[in-house]
Amino acid sequence: MAELTTTKLNAEAHLLLDQPLLRLPYELTRHTFKTAQRYLEKDTSTLLSTLQSTTSSATKTASPAATLDSLDGMIAKMQGLKRKLEGLHEEEVVHLRSSRKRVDHLKDLYEVASLVDVKYEEWSRIRLTRLLVDYLLRMGYTESAAQLAASKNVTELVDVDAFVVCQKIERSLRQGRRTDAALSWCAEHKQALKKGGWEELEFDLRLQQYVELVRQGHEAVSDDMGSEGMGMGMGMEDGGIGIGGDSGENTKLAEARAHAKKYLAVSADFDILGKAAGLLAYKPWDEVEPYATLYSPNRWDILANKFLTTFYNLYSLPPRPLLHIALSAGLSALKTPSCHSQYTSSSANASSSTTTVCPICSTELNSLARNVPYAHHTKSIVENDPVVLPNGRVYGRERLRTFNEKVGTEPGYTRDPVGGVNGERYREIDVRKVYIL
Amino acid sequence: MRPAPPPFRRKPETLLFTATPQTLAHSPPRAAQSRRHAASTMDDLREQIELLESTANLTTSINDVQHAIDLLTAARAKIAADPQAAPMTLAKLKDPLRKSMDTASKDLKPMYQGLNKYSKALDKKFKDKPLPTAENDALSSHPQLINRAIAMHLLREGEFAVASTFINEANTHPPHPEPTAGTPNPYLDEAWERKLATGTFNSKELQQQFAEMYHVLHELRQRHNLTPAIEWAKAHSDSLEARGSNLEFELTRLQFVSHFTGHSPKDPHLAQDIADGPLQAWTYARTTFAPFQLRYSRELQQLTGALAYSENMTDSPYRRYFYNESAFEEVAISFTREFCSLLGLSADSPLYLAATAGAIALPTLLKLQNIMKEKRTEWTTQNELPVEIPLPPSYHFHSIFVCPVSKEQSTDQNPPMMMTCGHVIAQESLDKLSKGTRFKCPYCPSESNPRDAKKVFL
Repeated sequence: MAELTTTKLNAEAHLLLDQPLLRLPYELTRHTFKTAQRYLEKDTSTLLSTLQSTTSSATKTASPAATLDSLDGMIAKMQGLKRKLEGLHEEEVVHLRSSRKRVDHLKDLYEVASLVDVKYEEWSRIRLTRLLVDYLLRMGYTESAAQLAASKNVTELVDVDAFVVCQKIERSLRQGRRTDAALSWCAEHKQALKKGGWEELEFDLRLQQYVELVRQGHEAVSDDMGSEGMGMGMGMEDGGIGIGGDSGENTKLAEARAHAKKYLAVSADFDILGKAAGLLAYKPWDEVEPYATLYSPNRWDILANKFLTTFYNLYSLPPRPLLHIALSAGLSALKTPSCHSQYTSSSANASSSTTTVCPICSTELNSLARNVPYAHHTKSIVENDPVVLPNGRVYGRERLRTFNEKVGTEPGYTRDPVGGVNGERYREIDVRKVYIL
Repeated sequence: MRPAPPPFRRKPETLLFTATPQTLAHSPPRAAQSRRHAASTMDDLREQIELLESTANLTTSINDVQHAIDLLTAARAKIAADPQAAPMTLAKLKDPLRKSMDTASKDLKPMYQGLNKYSKALDKKFKDKPLPTAENDALSSHPQLINRAIAMHLLREGEFAVASTFINEANTHPPHPEPTAGTPNPYLDEAWERKLATGTFNSKELQQQFAEMYHVLHELRQRHNLTPAIEWAKAHSDSLEARGSNLEFELTRLQFVSHFTGHSPKDPHLAQDIADGPLQAWTYARTTFAPFQLRYSRELQQLTGALAYSENMTDSPYRRYFYNESAFEEVAISFTREFCSLLGLSADSPLYLAATAGAIALPTLLKLQNIMKEKRTEWTTQNELPVEIPLPPSYHFHSIFVCPVSKEQSTDQNPPMMMTCGHVIAQESLDKLSKGTRFKCPYCPSESNPRDAKKVFL
């Protein structure tokens, strides 16, 4: 009974980490469906109106060639639609297949009753690979992620492609300082973003476009003035820029105003609108707040992060890698005060073949675990029949005996496994029984 | 690699999950019931997916669009043949074409419904399983350390190609530490971390070592070739002996047995006549057994004694040494253990153990989080989890000392102290009980002086 409590596997409670596994392919399938629906609606209405106008013009003027041309256009349009739908169907098939594989993978867990079952170990190793791939993808290590997934044969359980798209857009913002990829992603997911209330991203992208237009406008004006101030002798080059700047002032700032009217005016946030308007008066190099913040290149990082958050939200992905969540919990569950103690633990160390190294003490995790709380225990856990050596080290009698037999200690003596075969030896009568309650 | 067997058994009573809040425990009948229910919701999800895959998808609408194309092509052919009939043909085309396109749009409906049903089933499945929040994330501030742990994991798993791609990618795009609640200023962290994260991790060296390990294991398991393993054990003879490891002897003994049974190595040019076996074994014994004479004299006597039974080994008392099916696997496991231990590493991947323990711990931690939110309380002890996590015994590595007086776990600052009677309590409890003078042990009648209490190490 007592055994059962700690080794029983409750599959249902165990799935806390696995929601994104099913959510993401579902969201992708739904997006495919929505796109198909949109294509169909749009092309149907243009088809029917083209047919309408062709019919009426055919009745009036009756130029057979024109009618045939128009029909060819319609046929081509429909073939285009069919191709697009077929393309979407291919995506759909892939997403559905991976959904099925994932459901099956989770179902496997329900077949396992115990945490000490070999099957659980297999399942958990696949899960670790999934968590690792998720981590690699989030860190932008796509190549490693794809290789690991392929090598462990779990390609259908991970979402390399979706993250590649995500990463491309993120980098276009962070490094490329361009909004177009992100904006077209927003347009593609308009409905879903609206439904989830994540439209802020699009607004911020539009605002950034506006900021860049205003910046260009101001820079053009200043270039123009600069060339004037430097006098006549500067030659054609400066003149060229000057003229460009002059026209730039007119077009860029006007463009910015038009852009704001079109995209920003819809917002009810008058605070930000006020700031945006203020940009027209303050130059990027004026260093006056709050405009300097708006002009700051940091905004691209903020935008990139906002895009990531929105992307994760849309696909029900947690904000931090799943590996972090699993590891934080696991490090604490395994950590004991002995793991960062200055004394070698008698029960788990590398110095004798009768003990194993604890995973938290192992180089991989030791430093990572330094900042997490250690596990709570209400009872001592010690080996059967503990004895203490004169140096204060406590061992189970059986293990001490095994070790000394293996190293071939002389009869009547005993050696400390931590000290090894060359360590000090103690007389067996000095080994005392110790009572640990 | 298997996880090493637990180094010792826990006392049975300590196996009980003793979380303090009653709410954290599951009653078994309810659990069994919800288990059945849960499995059926998985079947439900499976069914929805199958439906979407088989019928409720875009294929029907694609056929409808093809139908529209056919209508248009037919109309075009008719008009091309008879231009005068164009207005008429076009007028006649209108209704079927509209109908065809309406059908295409209507045929999306089953897919729409199927997706909705699936989505509802998903909601139901994960209703009480919120996405884990970032609250417990203590790791975002140490991405370098995570990367190093992953690199080492990949190497010890033998994923050398992935590991080298990863190390390349991680070096080209080094991660940025993010502040977390526990470590708000990751950049200001202690120097040891930066040094560890950048300096001491020599991936090439580690890769070479693990490559050697995999070579040896491959020869052992696939080809039953003991030579590389024996060479390794010879080279590390001193450290192995100091650890009390029998690996070298076990390998040698297995080699002797292999010679004897003539199964030795699965290598064609080393193949031999079975009848030569005992002779080969005898030659091998004469050249290699000498160093083991002192420590393993009894085992050696058994082995050489067995030669006398070479005619009918299967009926002899020595049978179990000579016909052990799993001998190579056993020796491979103990080789892995020794190899990792000499590198100061645990035998199974710590990343695997920690991630698995984490998944086991998460439900309990989540419940705890909810309870604390409801009661608006916080942990009182920041460095210790407030609840016991039930882990299988194989996840216990260190002995744990919980002071029977104060119920606190011992630490370096508050170590376990053994009184002269042999009972152990924590240093702080000892100080409180004795107040520096002779005092009675709380568990037996004996009296002792606190100065005579002895610090012990578990």
